[in-house]
Order: sequence, then C-alpha cells, then structure tokens
Amino acid sequence: MNLKDLLSPFFVWQRAFEKPFTSMRPTIDRPGAPAYRGFHINIAETCVGCGSCHTICQNHAIDMVPVAEFEGRPGDSGLRPRFDYGRCCWCGLCVDICTAASLRMSNEYAWFTEDPTEFHFTAGVEDKPWQNNEHGYRRAEGYHLYPPKRIEMDMLPPDESVQSFEEVAKGYSIEQAKKEADRCVECGICVATCPAHMDVPDYIHSIRDGDYEKGLQLMYRTNPVPATCGRICTRRCESVCPVGILGEPVAIRWLKRFIVDQVDAKDYKRILNDQVGNSGKNVAIIGAGPGGLSAAYYLRKKGHAVTVFEAEKAAGGMLRYGVPSYRLPDDELDKDIEYIVSLGVDMNYNTRVGKDISFELLLQDYDAVFLSTGLSVPSSMRIQGEDHLRVLSGLQILADVASGRDPGIGSKVAVIGGGNVAMDAARVSRRLGADVTILYRRRIADMPADIEEIHESQEEGCTIVPQAIPVEIVNATQPDQVTIKWGEAEMVQDPKGGRPRPVLQEDRMHEETYDCIVSAIGQGSNLDFLTKETQEQLTIEWGKFTPGEYQHTPLQKVFVGGDVANRVADAISAIEDGHHAARGIDRFLNPDAY
Amino acid sequence: MNTVDEVLDYAIDQEQQAADFYANLAERAEKAGMKKILLEFAEEEIRHKERLLAVKTGEHELSPEEEVLDLKISDYLVEVDESPDISYQDALIVAMKRERAAYELYSDMAEKVPESNLRQVFVGLAKEEAKHKLFFESEYDERVLMDN
Amino acid sequence: MTHSTGHSASLDFPQPEPLDLSSGKYVKLWQGPQHPGITGNMSLELTLCGDEIVECKTHVGYLHRAFEKLMERRTYIQNFTVVCRIAVPEPTFNEYLYAQAIEELSGIEVPERAVWLRTLNLELMRLASFLMWIGGLSGAFGQYTVPNWTLAHRDYVLDLFEEMTGARIYHMYIVPGGVRAGLPDGFEQRAREIMDSTEKLLVQIERVMFNNTVFKTRSKGLGIITPDMIDPYGIVGPNARACGFARDLRKDEPYLAYDQLDFDVVTDNDSDAYSRAYCRLQETRQSISLIRQCLDNAPTDGPFQADMPNVLHWKVPAGETYVKAECTRGEYGYYIVSDGSEYIRRVHVRGPSYTHAIAVMERLAVGTNIADIAGLMVSLHTYPPEIER
Ligand SMILES: Cc1cc2nc3c(=O)[nH]c(=O)nc-3n(C[C@H](O)[C@H](O)[C@H](O)COP(=O)(O)OP(=O)(O)OC[C@H]3O[C@@H](n4cnc5c(N)ncnc54)[C@H](O)[C@@H]3O)c2cc1C
Ligand code: SF4
Repeated sequence: MNLKDLLSPFFVWQRAFEKPFTSMRPTIDRPGAPAYRGFHINIAETCVGCGSCHTICQNHAIDMVPVAEFEGRPGDSGLRPRFDYGRCCWCGLCVDICTAASLRMSNEYAWFTEDPTEFHFTAGVEDKPWQNNEHGYRRAEGYHLYPPKRIEMDMLPPDESVQSFEEVAKGYSIEQAKKEADRCVECGICVATCPAHMDVPDYIHSIRDGDYEKGLQLMYRTNPVPATCGRICTRRCESVCPVGILGEPVAIRWLKRFIVDQVDAKDYKRILNDQVGNSGKNVAIIGAGPGGLSAAYYLRKKGHAVTVFEAEKAAGGMLRYGVPSYRLPDDELDKDIEYIVSLGVDMNYNTRVGKDISFELLLQDYDAVFLSTGLSVPSSMRIQGEDHLRVLSGLQILADVASGRDPGIGSKVAVIGGGNVAMDAARVSRRLGADVTILYRRRIADMPADIEEIHESQEEGCTIVPQAIPVEIVNATQPDQVTIKWGEAEMVQDPKGGRPRPVLQEDRMHEETYDCIVSAIGQGSNLDFLTKETQEQLTIEWGKFTPGEYQHTPLQKVFVGGDVANRVADAISAIEDGHHAARGIDRFLNPDAY
Repeated sequence: MNTVDEVLDYAIDQEQQAADFYANLAERAEKAGMKKILLEFAEEEIRHKERLLAVKTGEHELSPEEEVLDLKISDYLVEVDESPDISYQDALIVAMKRERAAYELYSDMAEKVPESNLRQVFVGLAKEEAKHKLFFESEYDERVLMDN
Repeated sequence: MTHSTGHSASLDFPQPEPLDLSSGKYVKLWQGPQHPGITGNMSLELTLCGDEIVECKTHVGYLHRAFEKLMERRTYIQNFTVVCRIAVPEPTFNEYLYAQAIEELSGIEVPERAVWLRTLNLELMRLASFLMWIGGLSGAFGQYTVPNWTLAHRDYVLDLFEEMTGARIYHMYIVPGGVRAGLPDGFEQRAREIMDSTEKLLVQIERVMFNNTVFKTRSKGLGIITPDMIDPYGIVGPNARACGFARDLRKDEPYLAYDQLDFDVVTDNDSDAYSRAYCRLQETRQSISLIRQCLDNAPTDGPFQADMPNVLHWKVPAGETYVKAECTRGEYGYYIVSDGSEYIRRVHVRGPSYTHAIAVMERLAVGTNIADIAGLMVSLHTYPPEIER
C-alpha cells in the first residue's frame, strides 16, 4: 500500500463544486430530442385508414376504428388507428410503414392522468396536447419499408409502336410481377373503389404465391372479362392505392393482366369449374358489349337460359370497335368472350333490335330483358361548317380500322377532344402514317384521358395543343382538305368554384388546314330502337337511363346497364352493371330464393 | 320606355315569355327526359323574373358594377331548331343564345339612353342576363363539353 | 504472456468433495435475485463455511421471456423490435446481429453510410455499457460515488442515442437493410463534446477508483481465471483478454468498418477482478477513440438503407447462418434458420454470460469471502437476459 493510493480517493472533492447532473423539473427543462419517439400524432385528414400500422404492430397496440367524419370518403376506409398505450413499445414501425405519412410521433414523453382508459385513444381524432408538436419522430427521407417505385412495364419503343398495331405493353415477366405484387400493403381500399369490387389484394397475393389458377378464380367472381380489363381498365383502384400517396400506386391493372397471361384459355373450364343449371327461365340481352357479356355470364351461372342480340357481327361492343388493337388485341378480347359463350350463351349476331327484331317482341317472349346498348352517336361540336365532308368522327375511324377498312384520313390530321376516344383516334392516325395535332380546349392536366395514354400519344409523336377552342370550319383551297379556325383560351377561375373554365381569347385566333378533322368530343346514346311509348315508361335523363338499385326500370322485366345507364361510361362499370343486373334479374325470376 | 318602372316591367315580361317558351316546348318534347329538363329551364326563368320583381319593390338591387365572367361559348355555335325532338345539347344552345340576345339588347339600350339613372338600370339588367348566360354556358361546359 | 488458441479443450478439473450439509459446519445463503440491471435477476445459492464460500450454484429463470420462441411467431420486421430486449444495457448488438443475419440470408448489401453509422452506434453502446459497468463494480465494493458519475455520463451518451435513434434504451435503429436515419444536425459537435468530458471523467475515475487502496486490496487476486480455463469454459472478451488472450473479433474477423479503424487489442496478465476492470477501463478509452474515428469518417450523405422488399410480407430465403460480433463481454452470436417463410424457423442467441455467469462463476466463487461475492460477480460482467432467451 502506498501513500498515493491512500490519498487518491480524496480527489472526489474536485467534483463537489460542479453543478449537479440532475434537473429539478425534468419534463419541463428537458424536452425530448427532436426525433424522439414519443406519443403518437396522426394527421387524421391526411390518413386514409389503410391499416398498415395495425398490420405491422407486433404488440397489437393498434385497432382500426370507424370515425364518423371520415366514413364514406372516397379512397378512405373511414377507419383511423386507435392506440393502446398499455401495449405500445414506441418502436415507431407504425410511423415507418404509414403510406400517407400522416402518422408520426411527438417528442412528448410524459403523460399523467388519473383515468387509465385515456391511454387508449384515437390519435388525431381525440384532442391531445402534443398533436401539434413540431418535433418528434418522422420517417426519414430515403427510408422505406416497401418499395415506393413500381416495376416498369416493358413497352414497345414509340418509334416501333407507330409502325404497326402490335400491342404496346408487353406484360410482366414472372419475376417482375412478383416484385410488383410484393408492393401491395393489402389495405383493400381498392376493393371498395373498384366499381366491380374486385378482390384485388387476394389476387395479388396469389401472384406472390405463384398460384395463378386461384388468382383467375378470384377474378371471375366479380369480373368475367379480365384479359380485357387487365389491359384497358380505367383503374380507379390505382388512383386510391395508398402506396401511390408517397410513391407510385401498385400496378393493379398490369397484375390482373399478368394472371390471365399465365393461364391458357383451354384450362379455363377446369380451373373455373362453372356449373350451369337449368332454371327454365329465358333472358334476352341486347348488346354484346362488356355489360351484356357480364350479365350473360352471371345469368348462366344462375342457371337461366341466355339469348344475346347483337347488331354487329362480333361481340365486344366498343372494346372491339372502339379500343384499338395495340391496346387490346382481338385474341385477348376473344379469350374473355369465348369462355363466356362456352357456358351455353345463345349469340345472335347481325341482329339489330328495332330493325331485325322488335323490342316489344322480346318483352313478350322472354322472362326478362337486359339492355346494354352503349353510346354510339358521336357528339356534335355545333360549330359553323361542321358538316364539311372532311370532318370525320373519332368513333367512325376507329370502327373502320377495327373492321379492316381504310378510314381515308390523309396525312395531316387534327383531332379534337381530350378523352380516351381522342387519344385512340390520334394514335391510330399516327399508325396510319399521318401527322397528328390534338386540339383540346382545356389544359393537359384537365384531359379526361388516362394520363399514360396522353404520354404515350406524345411519345408517338402526336402534338397536343391545349387551350385551343375550335370556332369554325371552312373550305380549304383544295377540295379534299379542310381548314379549322380556332382561338386560344385562358383558364379562368369560376367564382362559383369547380375546375377553371376556358375562355376564348378573340384576339388570338389561328387558322390551319388539314386533310381531315377528327371530332372526338364525346358520344351519346341511340335509343331509337325503342318506341316513344316504351321510352316514356323507362326513366331517361340526358339520354341515359336512371335505373333502380338492381339495374331495374319502371317497366317490368326490363333491366339496363353499361354506358347507357351509368355516368362513368367505362368497361368495368358496365361489367359491374351486368353482374348486378344478373343479381336483380335472378331476384325477379326467383323471388322465393331470397 | 322612359321610366325605370317601365323598363323593369318590360324585362319582367321578357322573363315570363321565356318561361312560357320553355313550358310550351316541354309540352311537345319527344325525347325521353327532355320534358323534365325544359320545365327546369322554365323554372329558372321564373326565378329570374322573381329577382326582377324584387328589384322593382326595392327588396333587391341590380348591380351594374359587377364583373360577370363571359365564357363566350354560345357566340360561336350554330343556330339550332327548336323542334320537338330537341336534344339536351340543343336545348342548352337555345337557352344560351336567348340569354345572349337579351344581354345584347340591354347593352344596346344602355348605350342609347341619355339619362344616366336609366342607363344604370339597363347596364344592371344586361349584367343580370350575362349571369343567366353564364349559368347555361357553365352547364354546357360541364355536361356537353365533358370530354372536351 | 499470450496464449495460443490451440489449447486442447478439456473439462477434467477436480470435482469438489460432496459436502455433508447435516454436519452443522455449513450455512446456505441466497444472493439475489435483485435488480434486473447490472447482474440482477439471477441468484447464487451459496454454501458457506464461516465466511468462506465452499459451494456456489447459479440459478436463472427469473427473467425468462422466451424471446427465441416469441420470434418464431413474428414477422421478420416485427422481430426487429424484439431483439433489443435480449440485453437491456446493450440492445444494439442484438439489433446489429439480427440485421446482419437476415441480410446475409437475403443477400442484401448494406450501403457504406449505414456501415459507418452502425459502427458508431455499436461503439457508443460499448461506451455506455462500460460506464454503467464501472459504476456497478465500484458499487459492488461499497464505493458509491463513482456510480453517480458514471451513470450520469452514461446518460449523456444516452442523450446522443436519443438524438440519433429516437430512444434512449431500446434504440431500434439498426434495421435489417441499413439504419433508420442519418445523423441529426449538430450531432457530431455534441458527440465530440461528450467524448471530451467522458475522457476527463475517466482520468478522475482512474484516480479515485483504480488507484484507491481499498479497491485495489479487495479486487487484486480475487477470482483469478487461469489460462487453462479459457478454452474449456469458452471464456471470451475482457475476461479472456485480462488473462493474456488477445482475442477480439473486431480485430480477428473484422466486420462493419473495424478494418478501417485504428486500435489495438487491450490485454493484461493478472486475470483477477482488478485486471479485468482495468482492461475494461482501457477499452472504454478505446471506444472513445473509435467513436471519434467514426465521426471523422462516416459519410454524411448517400443512402443509409438498401433497397428493401415490402416488409409486410417479407420472406427470407431458406438457409441458416451464424453471425457474431464483439460486444462488451466478448463474442456475441446469432444463429438463425429460415425455412423460406414469412416467419423465422429458429433463432438461437449465443451470449457470453451463459458460461461466465454459470460455469465460471460457480468455479471462481469457491474459496472467496462472502463479502467479495458481489464484486466477483460484477467483475465477470454478465447479463441474465442473454442467458434466458
Ligand atoms: C375509343 C374508345 C376507347 C375506350 N377506351 C376505354 C378504356 O381504355 N377503358 C375503359 O374502361 N373503357 C374504355 N372505353 C369505354 C368502354 O368501351 C365502354 O364503357 C364499354 O364498352 C361500355 O360497354 P356497354 O356494354 O355499355 O356498351 P358497348 O360496349 O358500347 O356495347 C354495346 C353493344 O350493343 C350493341 N347494340 C347497340 N344497339 C343495339 C341494338 N339496337 N340491337 C342490338 N345490338 C345493339 C352494339 O353493337 C354494341 O356491341 C372506350 C370507348 C371508346 C369508344
Ligand atoms: S410504436 Fe410500435 S408498438 Fe407502438 S403502436 Fe406503433 S408499431 Fe405498435
């Protein structure tokens, strides 16, 4: 033992005069670090209730509970996370996985209350003092628990795609599809949004499992036209997919197509194993578009005999005579149709109701009639000179091309409109070798066409001139040409709200000559096959039926659906209308079963 | 038409005539659903009339200063027939054109009358008609020009 | 003196004579279970003859939460929040090894920035853990001033954790695929300040504790681990290094950024409680140096997470792996088996405490004075939760 060692401990006194380590009022003097994982904050307005936080929480500390003010909001489950602080371990995984970045944590770490039930609370809905804390844990930029970007679909390069009518989107490989399927968080908001309520998360799950037969079975429960929808659906599901809030939505449409691509048409019978009985009832369907086809499928499954009357020489409706084959090849459409027809549907082609057979006769002969005749009359611009011979309709040139006729558009074309028909007409014209200009009265962002269609048309060399309002069509110097006068538009905010409206600027007018002008500004119904008396008995507004809950009309036995009966006018809505009408018709024919 | 009241009476009568016009067309309308729509137009005209009646009794004031948005849609459309099988699109065109004509009439009058009080009334009426035109043009913009 | 690792592993140590407990010469005494920190929630069943220990049996089980089993019922991402609990004072080694094993099985390459941030995180952890341990040892010998200092300074390091990871104890920062965030603004500056003040503290601790004649007298010669025990018992970490075995995974099988860091393995020869403590004091200093090197070298931008699959249905390819790292107590390892599903098939955690607190402790305790048993126990630096996974 030496003296130094004996004295050395007394150095403790050195510290006696330093300020203490402890603090008198810890929660006040010492707030949590800026990224501290304290009590939860949810921006309930931004949250869409996808429930990923609930799924990831290993402590089952989160329940998704209905919150009245969000119920029924589009793209929203109406649920919000309710936290149980008897279970939470403040790991923050719920914050990391939050698809809307609405969930975060405050840096608050002390909470005193006499009432233990308060520790069970719906963040952002029940008011808590930390809800507006500026600090606290947020998911860091660049950190993800699921891949935010979608797997790109291989496409024909634009310089090749304009050379032919070959399908542009090539479809996913198995590896690509599995990766894309992996991005789904299985919230089911898509199911609620899809007009047909397709079971999206489950069929996507089947891709992850590699069980495409199960995927096909799941799809046919709500949609008997999946090869088609997997290519051209308006995919409202994707617009609400919460993965798309911070990244890109899951490519639901391409995944649907992938499943169908994996299954050979000859295996459908075995896989779907649809049993068709015989109820002794006969149903007539007018129109073999997606609405009529869907009704036919589900009616057959209920055992009713189905007879379809179709004016054209093949089924598919606008899918065949409108949508061009580079988006939807005929054999893919046929894959869907042939399976439906194979269940014993009696198809009568080249039979126009009102001309070849009267509607009244059908009413007499059949136990029920379903009508899905679509929109076939191109809308008119009602401007001076519109009846010029070189003004063609988009529908007409698309139908010509689909039937193998030459629409005679020439080599310099102006397409008027901003919807899918306009894009299709423009891209078809490009494929026929024309220079194409698209005139649209509003901004590109306002175009009702699918955003991908707009981009693809631009990539293929169509020029879009937005904010261009046609005012007059006049003769050109050459008889086989036509001149259009159009003026620039300013977008003006409507004081009453809504989207801004285009206002013609009369001092900025232009004139241009084309080989033809393709008008594609919308289409209306043709109900001339119904007598005035029959029309009176059906409820019709603005040229469309307004059916009841089961697609029924005031006229007994008559059910309607598809573009003539809904406001959306897309394939999937027609399919759902057909399915729903089949339920309605079955109820009507079989009241005792319900 | 020399006094404010006379002018207002004229305008009120015009609105009534418009209402009658639509009601009459509704009677004859052939296309399903058009009857209902034309009757709605007639009701709209009655609302215009009531507004002017309120101006006359002093419950409501015209607002000649107000800026009204002009979408200029009807200006470039062709005239359409007011036939019984009129479509919704054409019915709207008829309505827009009628409101436009009324607007131009009152604007003209305002230019012509020397007396400033009366001129203000005409300008106010023109603004009213501009609003009616905007109503129908907005409807056209939304329903007919949907894809466009 | 250094020993080669080539010792033949043999367990033929002399077995003690059975005791005649009815002779009246012996007293049975239970030490623990006490506090769930330091050595706690573990107990020693001691048999005394006078104040000398003639037999020691370690009892565990007070803390058993079946972590390994729990993990078989949770998805891979969920387990990330479980593993930290396996060693309360040193959660990040669990986080790192769990992540490392999963990444190895899934073929995930962690970005450079994350590698450095992980190294920094692990060294901060070592520092915090040693600070607590120094206080624990001092307390075990009845000196209660030093624990106050070291625990306070450990809290300053925890402040750094709070800033860096969002939490003080269960950081949950090293996530499979990378880390959860980069360093916050001003972190480096504050970390350097705390390193400086801790370094000063260590000088004072050396003076008042290590140079303290009472501490020296009581700890020197206590619990000597002999070289022939090292391999048969599987003794690792400072317990082995104080016995002259220069074994340190950071040097021997470098992982993360350790091959780019400048440090030497600390060893000593006396192999008693004092010598082990002194090794740890040196390693604490070394940690501070390593932390500074990490702050110097860690990239400040670039990704800190690899491209990840969706963790909600993450399946790890079938396979098995054993990964290891040098924690404060020596080799710490994770053995993980995946059957290719969304759930772990089997996980086994290899903590050094298993051997140090049971077999080694039972042997070293024999012949010591009852008053020194706490000091001996702490000098082996063991954590019961890693015995009872
Ligand atoms: C160019 C174009 C592109 C489109 N692109 C898309 C798209 O990408 N995605 C999408 O979802 N939707 C798209 N649509 C819309 C989609 O095609 C329609 O919503 C869908 O086809 C409507 O189905 P439906 O059954 O109501 O009517 P239709 O498909 O129009 O079918 C009606 C059928 O009824 C027949 N018919 C009509 N009258 C009679 C009668 N009196 N007697 C017998 N048969 C009759 C017609 O010949 C036709 O076959 C597009 C439409 C067009 C025109
Ligand atoms: S912080 Fe962790 S434990 Fe708490 S609710 Fe979120 S996921 Fe669950």
